[in-house]
Amino acid sequence: MPFDRRFILSVNWSLVALTAMLFGVGVLNLYSASGFRMGDELTMQPFYNRQLIWGLAGLSCLLAMVVFDYKYLAVIAWPLVISTSVLLVLVLVMGKTVGGAKRWLPLGGFAFQPSEVAKIALLLLAAKLLSKRSERLGWLDLAGILAVSMPVALLIIVEPDLGTGLNVLLLVAGLILYRGLAGPVFKTLAIACPILVPCGWFFLKPYQKGRILTLFDPQRDPLGAGYHIIQSQIAIGSGQMWGKGFLEGTQSQLRYLPEKHTDFAVAVFAEEWGFIGGIVLLALFCLFLLQFYVTAKNAKDRFGSYLAAGVFFYFFWQILINMGMVLGIMPVVGIPLPFISYGGSATIVNFTLVGIVVNVSMRRYLFKKG
Amino acid sequence: MRLETETPQQHAPRSGLILLQALVLGLFCLFTLRLWYLQVHKGGTFADMARDNQLRQVLIGSARGRILDKNGTPLAVSEPSFALGLVREDCEDIDGTLAKVSEWTGVDKHVLSETVKRGKKRVKPFEPLILITDLPYEALARIEANAMLYPGLEIVVRQKRYYPTGALLSHVLGYVAEANEDELEKNPQLSLGDSVGKQGLELTHEDELRGSKGRKQVEVDAFGRQHNEFILEPPRAGADLKLSIDIGLQKECSRLLEGQAGALLVMEPDTGKILAMVSQPSFDNNMFVLGVPADKWRELRDNPRHPIQNRVTQGVYPPGSVFKLLMAAAGLAEGFVRPGDVVACPGVYKVGNRDFHDWKKGGHGSLDLRGALVHSCDIYFYKLGDRLGIDRLHDYAVASGFGTRTGIDLPHEKAGLIPSKEWKKKRFGAAWSKGETVIASIGQGYVLTSPLQIGRYLSALVNGGRLMKPELVETDAPQVDAMLPLKDGDRQVILDAMVSTVENGTAKSLLRSDAVMAGKTGTAQVVKLINADIRRKTNEMPYEQRDHAWLASWGRKDGKTYVVVCLVEHGGHGGEVSGPLVRKVYEYLFGPAPGKPARAANPAPAAHGEPAVDPNDVGD
Repeated sequence: MPFDRRFILSVNWSLVALTAMLFGVGVLNLYSASGFRMGDELTMQPFYNRQLIWGLAGLSCLLAMVVFDYKYLAVIAWPLVISTSVLLVLVLVMGKTVGGAKRWLPLGGFAFQPSEVAKIALLLLAAKLLSKRSERLGWLDLAGILAVSMPVALLIIVEPDLGTGLNVLLLVAGLILYRGLAGPVFKTLAIACPILVPCGWFFLKPYQKGRILTLFDPQRDPLGAGYHIIQSQIAIGSGQMWGKGFLEGTQSQLRYLPEKHTDFAVAVFAEEWGFIGGIVLLALFCLFLLQFYVTAKNAKDRFGSYLAAGVFFYFFWQILINMGMVLGIMPVVGIPLPFISYGGSATIVNFTLVGIVVNVSMRRYLFKKG
Repeated sequence: MRLETETPQQHAPRSGLILLQALVLGLFCLFTLRLWYLQVHKGGTFADMARDNQLRQVLIGSARGRILDKNGTPLAVSEPSFALGLVREDCEDIDGTLAKVSEWTGVDKHVLSETVKRGKKRVKPFEPLILITDLPYEALARIEANAMLYPGLEIVVRQKRYYPTGALLSHVLGYVAEANEDELEKNPQLSLGDSVGKQGLELTHEDELRGSKGRKQVEVDAFGRQHNEFILEPPRAGADLKLSIDIGLQKECSRLLEGQAGALLVMEPDTGKILAMVSQPSFDNNMFVLGVPADKWRELRDNPRHPIQNRVTQGVYPPGSVFKLLMAAAGLAEGFVRPGDVVACPGVYKVGNRDFHDWKKGGHGSLDLRGALVHSCDIYFYKLGDRLGIDRLHDYAVASGFGTRTGIDLPHEKAGLIPSKEWKKKRFGAAWSKGETVIASIGQGYVLTSPLQIGRYLSALVNGGRLMKPELVETDAPQVDAMLPLKDGDRQVILDAMVSTVENGTAKSLLRSDAVMAGKTGTAQVVKLINADIRRKTNEMPYEQRDHAWLASWGRKDGKTYVVVCLVEHGGHGGEVSGPLVRKVYEYLFGPAPGKPARAANPAPAAHGEPAVDPNDVGD
């Protein structure tokens, strides 16, 4: 397939630049979060350099995502969903148990998380199905899309990986709202949801209930579930207006902050860079999200628009849930913050999704031949 | 290059695009507000909390002072002990860890779980909760080897009190044990798990022995690891306490009383210093240091012979005939009798319509004061008491140190009792009867004295009339509390009578040719005998009805004077039981007696052979 050089000029360079900036901030912050003080010495754990390597791997995935026309993504959507579903079932049967959850599939000395691929596959499929037509969704359409995505999400949830499963479901829900619901459907759901959501309480595991209760009263279990919330708020709050300075965060260096290089990494950032740094990071994220909006708006076809919107929701929910948790306004759910939290699979998935949107953005024009 | 393009073929859903923008805006506003609230509005509070997290003031323990005997032999020392602590925050699986600890140490897992539950509120986060206070070395080695696999377990080195002499001196030393809630509240210097004096000198000299803790500020991480520290105030070690106790003598006295229930006290009359203070049966105070197991404690508490009680200071007994020393002094001092006055003893004395008998059937004939003391004539003192009256007797006895605490440095000293008309009115709401005065005159009835009071009184008689505070600490200056209300001449009469009592009276067993020996025996009835005629032989009576055997004595050799007081509970006859025992004490103090002791020193027990007189009638 010929690669038209004119594509380069159409690329959403803002998106690329913002991705690079967020990733840079993330690595810098991980450098600080990797430090443990022992006496006067600062001992480094190798998270930041490993993250760099993951970033390079992600970059190659990004590049791989732009070389073909994204229309082929619609072609592989179904096969990808079916094969990852099979893998998810395999994980349940013979997966490696890490930290009480079966998420990993050993693949010749290399553990592999099918749920990460499942997210992408479901995003592609949802975008493909929803972009077929443009009118608002009726009951039947809604049932159809849910019938496809629910089983995959459930497979992820039973691993158990509530965070990722929730992320996938919310992503699909976001895309449904992006297309819009038909009047009666919307009205019915607007009434039903506030009634049905509290019923979900009874399906939660005790530890999950505990996390939600702890959100409202962290002192309820100050050394257990509440400990994360309390220490995280102390870290962020003590950063005050200007922060304690790079590598100077006492909460993180003295290990009061748990999970400081993964789920709570942004607390390290807020402790060291203060309110000002926090606002800057938040602004970066918002500008980053707006690039998906721009791409979705200008895409040449509906599938491209839905792809960009899907990626928007993918990142949006992660940012909302992770920062909400770290800032103490949402329950503790294990969802990482894109580009800021350490994580190999997540980094590769993030870059891949950005790559898909870059692809959509650069092919937003139909070029005349010759 | 010129781009030739077509407009997009699609129109993205309008409402969807608005939704995306609204979500981004909402996200930004929500988190900006939240960041402002946490970092700016409440930032100061959280900054304080971060500082509290990071900097802790830690107390530095001080070494507890040792307790030594007069020759420097250690009696109480502090040794390092290894405790097993659990930092719950570091422990991933408390239940599993406790199960392992139980496997290593043999301590029941339920006990450990209980300990953790109890410690939950009292132990601060990241401080080790002490699971086992004293690890034996085998368990220590096993835990050290495995602890790395069980995060949260920590070996804590602490000080443990050890009493090398054990049961030998437990009533005097007392013991330390873990401070309870009250003690923790009263003294902010104490932290959970610290030991404090609970009994004996460990309690009364707690402040000197403990010293004071230092303080340091440390920077700690969430795992409690310390990074930097800075001493704010160095600890001050507790002072050593040197006692007047001679542990060799204590050991000998303890051995002599072994198997009996009783008290033995050796004092230096000039200074009031106590050289030996034995109460038998005893207990091993080491047992209390780490907390007495409930069953052992019950066993001690319910033991009918009360091993925990210090009989020298807390045991109060009718003094029996030993009280006649005080009676004689009262009679002389108050002018009711002169040394030469001769009183007839017909063997019975009538008060009102009641007969009071002498211990000797038929009486002693005529006796002066010395004779009355030497032969311990009851009638003489019945008559004297009758004339003195109970209130005068009470006032005089109290002025001589009876019925009040001696003020010794030991907790829970008993005051004993000298009755008076007022006391009886208050206690029983009844009027005093003359017969009760008669009974009190020979140290029976309501009269109760501790061996320490007797020792102190005897010391005062010997040292020129100075009533001293009994002292256990070598370095404390002798303290005169009062002067005996008794003229020197009269005092000498009593001392002489005591010497005669050894030479040809009831305390012959003390006799030795190389020393001046003096004594007064007493046989205190435990059961009220309605009729003195039915006195039975000691070995025919049940143990708890047998008389208490007293011997109060002093001896002087080469310018050294000692007071020895012996009480054997339910021992039977004073001179007979206590005499040979006290004799041995003097042998330790003065060396073995030269030549054969006088025959009378070792009267044959009633069960063997037929003595000239019924031993129960040898008198007191």
